[in-house]
Amino acid sequence: MTNPDTSKDIASVYRFLAQCMEYPDRSWMSKDFFQALDHLLEQLGGQDEKEAIHTALDNPGDFADFIEDLQVEYTRLFINGIPHLVAPPYGSVYMDKSLQGKFAGDTLAFYREKGFAMGEKADLPDHLIHELEFLSLLASESDHDGEALFLKKFFRPWFGEFHRRVTLETHHPYFRVISQLIDFFTKEDDNNGFQPNPA
Amino acid sequence: MAFNLTRRKFLQTASLAAAAVPLSKVVSADTGVTKAPLDAKGTFGDQTVVGGICEMCFWRCQLVGKVRDGRLMKLEGNPKSIDNGTAICARGNAGVKLLYDPDRLKYPLKNVGKRGAPKWKRVTWQEALDECGNGLNQVTKKYGAKGIAVFPHGASAKYPMHYFERTVGTHNVSEASFFQCRGIRDTAYVATIGKAPGEKVDMANTKVLFFLGTHIGENIHVSHVKQYVQGLQNGAKLVVADPRFSASAAKADIWVQIKPGTDTAYVLAIMNYLVQNNKYDADFVEDHTAGFDEFSEAIKEWTLEKAAATCEIPAAQIKEVAELLAANAPNVAIHPGRHVSWYGNDFQRERALGCLTALLGAFYVKGGWVPPKGPKVSGISWKKHDHGNEHNLNYNHEEDEKRYPFNPPGTPTELIRDCAISGKPYPIKGCVVWGQNPMQTIPGQEKMKKVFQQMDFVMCVDVMPTDVTLWADILLPEASYLERYDYIKTGTQWNLADEHQQFIAPRMPLVAPMFERKDQVYITNELAKRMGHAAEIPVGSLEEMTEKSLASVDLSIAKIKAEDGIHIQPGKDPYGLPEDFEVQLYNEDLADAGFPGAPTYIPVPEVPKGYARLLYGRAPVHTFNRSQNNVWLHNAMPINPIWINDHAAAKMGLMDGDTVSVVNSEGIASGTTTTVKVTPGIRKDCVYMYHGYGSASPFMTVGKNAGVDDQKLISILAIDPETGCSGMRNNFVKLVKNGKVLDIPA
Amino acid sequence: MQYGMIIDLERCVGCHACTIACKAEWEVPVANGRNWVNRLGPTMTPEGLASTYYPGLCNHCDAPLCVEACPADQVEMTFTDAKSGKTKTLTVAATWKDPFDGTVQIDKERCLGCGACADACPYGARYVNPDLADDNSMGKADKCTYCKPRVEAGLDPACVQTCIAGARIFGDLDDPNSAVSKYVKKGARGIEPHGGHLGPNSRYYGNKRDISLLFSTSTPELADLGMTRRRAMLATLVKPSINKARDIGLLGLAGAMLVKKMSEEK
Repeated sequence: MTNPDTSKDIASVYRFLAQCMEYPDRSWMSKDFFQALDHLLEQLGGQDEKEAIHTALDNPGDFADFIEDLQVEYTRLFINGIPHLVAPPYGSVYMDKSLQGKFAGDTLAFYREKGFAMGEKADLPDHLIHELEFLSLLASESDHDGEALFLKKFFRPWFGEFHRRVTLETHHPYFRVISQLIDFFTKEDDNNGFQPNPA
Repeated sequence: MAFNLTRRKFLQTASLAAAAVPLSKVVSADTGVTKAPLDAKGTFGDQTVVGGICEMCFWRCQLVGKVRDGRLMKLEGNPKSIDNGTAICARGNAGVKLLYDPDRLKYPLKNVGKRGAPKWKRVTWQEALDECGNGLNQVTKKYGAKGIAVFPHGASAKYPMHYFERTVGTHNVSEASFFQCRGIRDTAYVATIGKAPGEKVDMANTKVLFFLGTHIGENIHVSHVKQYVQGLQNGAKLVVADPRFSASAAKADIWVQIKPGTDTAYVLAIMNYLVQNNKYDADFVEDHTAGFDEFSEAIKEWTLEKAAATCEIPAAQIKEVAELLAANAPNVAIHPGRHVSWYGNDFQRERALGCLTALLGAFYVKGGWVPPKGPKVSGISWKKHDHGNEHNLNYNHEEDEKRYPFNPPGTPTELIRDCAISGKPYPIKGCVVWGQNPMQTIPGQEKMKKVFQQMDFVMCVDVMPTDVTLWADILLPEASYLERYDYIKTGTQWNLADEHQQFIAPRMPLVAPMFERKDQVYITNELAKRMGHAAEIPVGSLEEMTEKSLASVDLSIAKIKAEDGIHIQPGKDPYGLPEDFEVQLYNEDLADAGFPGAPTYIPVPEVPKGYARLLYGRAPVHTFNRSQNNVWLHNAMPINPIWINDHAAAKMGLMDGDTVSVVNSEGIASGTTTTVKVTPGIRKDCVYMYHGYGSASPFMTVGKNAGVDDQKLISILAIDPETGCSGMRNNFVKLVKNGKVLDIPA
Repeated sequence: MQYGMIIDLERCVGCHACTIACKAEWEVPVANGRNWVNRLGPTMTPEGLASTYYPGLCNHCDAPLCVEACPADQVEMTFTDAKSGKTKTLTVAATWKDPFDGTVQIDKERCLGCGACADACPYGARYVNPDLADDNSMGKADKCTYCKPRVEAGLDPACVQTCIAGARIFGDLDDPNSAVSKYVKKGARGIEPHGGHLGPNSRYYGNKRDISLLFSTSTPELADLGMTRRRAMLATLVKPSINKARDIGLLGLAGAMLVKKMSEEK
C-alpha cells in the first residue's frame, strides 16, 4: 500500500514540521523556509492559511519586526506565557501534569527499543519536536507499524489537547497553521483513505 | 480552514528536502526489555545519588535521590542522616515536582512589554546579562550604589546579597525572612540573652512544652517534629496558647484559648505569679540575670485576674500553667516561636518568653533552651568593605543613632519602600529580586507596585514565575536546590540526649540542570564582571566554593561522596550553662532608647464591630507561597478553607463547605473564593486560613486562584517599634457569600 | 503470617508525607492515590474537642470483598512462602489474598480494568489507574500493596520510611512479639464498615477523643454489591476481545521488532 517513496516524503514532512516548531530565529526562518512552507500549504490547498501568515508577517504588532513578534508569541505559548503557560510542548505535561513524568519515561523507552537515544543537545524526550523527529526517523526506515503505534500511543494522546490550546489561544496565525499542519499529518485517515473535510 | 487533500493522497505527490536530525541514532546498550510491565517497578531499585540538601523549606534535611535514566524519580531522607534520618515531609518528597514543574523558568527572558504587564521573549544569557549589567551600571552611575535595592531570600541569594552589600555597597537590602518572619524573635532574644534563640528547645527531653501560637504539625520541620513527638511520647505536658484549636492544641494537655494579641499579658501574668509566690529559680536569677528588681516591679500589675480579663481566659487556668511550669522547672521548653511578626507588639512578647525561660532556670539544661554544639565550616564570599552610614536609611543622622536600634541585619522593608516612592532622601532606581516574592511575602501589594513602577531597571532571579517576576525587565532562571552545589548543612544528632555527634553535609546536585538554568555564583560573577568588579570575584563556581569551604575542615567533595553525602564526627555535650551567660530581665539599653526596659504588654487594636481578626498560619504541605504550583502538594490540600466559629456561622447562616470570598476593613477584596470550615475550634473574634494560597501570577498553571491569598487582605501593617518589622495580624475581615457581605457577630 | 500496619495517631502530625512518598515510589497519577490523609475536626466528640487525621490505605482485609468481586478468569497460581520456601497453589482471579503474607495483590496483566473491585471496597482504597488504559479498558486496578516489592527487598514500605513522626508501624500481626502486635494488645483497631466483618489489617491507635472522631467520621458503609456484580458481569461479556487484544500489547510489539532489528544487525 504505502510505497518507499511515500515513506521518504512523510519523513521529510515530519522533519520539516519539527523545524517549524523551533524557537523562531533568523538563522533558519529564511526566505527559503517560508517558500517551502508556502509550497506545502499550496499543495494542500491552504491558500487562506498561507495568506494569513504572510499578512501577519508583513504587519508585525508592537515589536521591531516579525521575528520578534514570533519570538514573543513562541515564549508565551511554549516557554512561559500570559495569561498562563498556554501549551507546553511536552507530552508529560498533559499526561502526568508535570515534566519528566511517567509518560516521558515511557516515550524514552520506546525510542530505545527502536534503537535510538537522545542526542546531547536534545530537549526532553517527549518534546513535540523530538517526537516529530522520531516519527521522521521511523518513516525513513519504512517502519510503518512503529510509526502507527507511536502516533497512537505517544503522539495523539496529548497532541489533541496541545493543538486545541494553541488554536484557541494563539495571537499569531503562524502557530495556528503549524499546529494544524501537524494535526493533519499525524491524524489517521479513515479506511477509504479519504479524510472528511472539516470545513 | 480547509486542506483539500487527504493525508495519504498528499503523501503520494509531495516531496520536501529532509533537514539534519539532532536525534542521534545509536543502538542502546540496555535494550533487553521486551515488554514493559504494567506494574510500576518502584524506585527502590533505581540508582541512588547522595548529597541532596532539601530546600522546600529552610530546615534543610539531608536527601538522596532515586534516579532512573537521568530522571529524578523520588527523594528520600539520607539513611546516614542523624538529623532527619530516612524521613522527609510532604514538601521534601514533592521536590521532584518542583524540579519538573512545567511552569518553572527555563531560559533568560527579556520583557519587551510593560512592567507588571510583561511580554517576554527568550534571549541568550549573553544578552540578558549585558542588559542587567547596563541597567545596574546606569543606576549606580546616576544615583550611586544606594540607588539599588535588593530583595533576597534563601541560600542561593546569600552570595549575590553579599556582592551588592559588600562590593557594590548598598545598604538597601531587605530579607523577608527577617522582617516579616523571625527577625523580631532573634533581636528580642539578643536583647535578652545575647543571642538568637532559633527553635533550640530540647523538646525530646523536656517535661513541659509551652507554645504561644506555635503550631507544630501544621508547621513542619522534620527533626523539630521528631523532638516534639519524642517529648510527648516521653510524657511531657503540652501547653498551647492559641485562639484556634491548632494541630498542636489538638495534642495539648492544656489549650489556652487566648484572645488574639494578648499573649504578652498572659506571659507577664505567669511570670508575676512565679515571682510573687517565690516559685521562680532564685539561684539562676541571682547568678545569671540582671535587673530583677526593676523587672519584677514593672510586671507586678499583672495579676492573674487582670490577665484573665485581658486575655479572656480563666484565671485558674493561668495559675494551673504557672504551677505546672514551676513544678517541672528547669526542664521546661519555652518555645521561642518562628514566624513571630504578628501584632506590632511582638518584640516585647519575645522578650517575655526569654525572661520566662530565665525565671524557670531553663537555659542549657535538659529539656530547656539548649543550643546544640555543631561543627563550624567557613564560608567563602565577597570581601567586606565599610560603606559608612551616610546612606543608611535606618540611621538618624541628627540623633546619630539607628531609627530602629534593634532591627535585624539589612534595612527595614518599609524604609526602602518609602524612600523609593518618595525619592527622599535619595532615589532608588535599580532593583534586584533574588528568590524572594515581595509581592506576596511583604504586605502592602499596591505600595510594592509603586516601588517597581518608579524603577529604571528591575531584574529577578528565581526558579518559578512568582508574582514579583511580572515586574522584571530581565528574568533569569535559576538552578534549583536539586541541581547545584551550595549550602553546607551542619548540625548534630536530633535528640540531644543521644550519643553526641556532629555532621557536615554539603549540598551537591542530584541531577544536572535542565534547559538553560544557571546558579547564583555564575550569575553574580557575570554581573560583577560587567559592573567593574571582576578583580574581587572570590570564587569561580559553586563547586569550587563548596570545595574551599570543605577544605577548612579537612574535607573535600570526593571525601563526602565516599561517605555517602554526610560526614559524621564525634560531638560535644550541649548541656551546661556558660559561666558568662546573663539574661537581661530589665534591659538598660532598651530603656535608654526610649523603649520599655522590662517586657511590657502593648494592647492591640480591638476588632471593629461586624468584623473578625484575620489570622493565618502554615499548611503542612506548603512553604509560604513557594510551593503553590507544586502539583502533588496542591493536590494534597487544594484550597485553604477559612475557619469560622460554629456559633458565629450559625448566626450568619453559613454552613460548613459554603463558598465565600473575603473583604477587609479597608475594602480590599480577596478576588478569589474558598470554602468555610465551621468549627468550635476557633474563637468568635477571629477567622483563620492557611497562608500560601491564591496566587495571582498568571504564569502558574496549578496554584493560580486556588484558595484565598491572605497576604492580599493584609493591608494594615503594625510596625514593631523596636525592630521596624511588620506585624500582620491587625487586619479585620468580613465574609462575602453570593455577593452579600456578611457581618460577623461578636 | 499476616502483614499489618498501625497508624499511631498520638504520633501522627498530619503532614501528608506518606501520601507523597507513595506517589513517587509507585508513579501513581496525580489525581489518584494509594493512600490518603483526611484532616478531621476540630469537632466536639463525647470525649471533648478533637482534631485528628485519617491516614488511610488498603486494609488487606481478612475477608476482602474486592477479591470476591473480581470477574477475571480464574487461574491456578502457586505462592511461595518467602521464609520457609513452602508453596501453595490456589485458584485465583486477577486479585487475591496471598496465603503466606496475608496481603491483597493484583495481577495487572489479567486485570480487566472493570473497576468492580474498586466499587466493592468500602474504604475507597482501590482506583482504576488511567495511565494503564489500553484498547479494551479505561485502565487497571491499583492500590496499596503494603509495598510488597520493597518489603521483599528488605525495606520498609515507602510511607513508613518517610514518616517523620514514626507514626506508621509495619509488621507481622501473627507474630505476638512484633511491634504491630503490641499495638493491637494496647487497643489498636481497624475500621470495620457498618455491618461488615472484613477484618481490616491497617489499624489505628490513639487517645479516646481522636479515636472517637476518627471512627465517627470515617466508618464507611458497605458497597452496594448488586451494582458491583452488574459491572463485573458486563466486563465478563466483553472478555474475549480483551484476551485477543492483550497479545498485541503496547510495548510487546515494539520489543518484538527491536529483537528482529538487532538480529539483523548481527
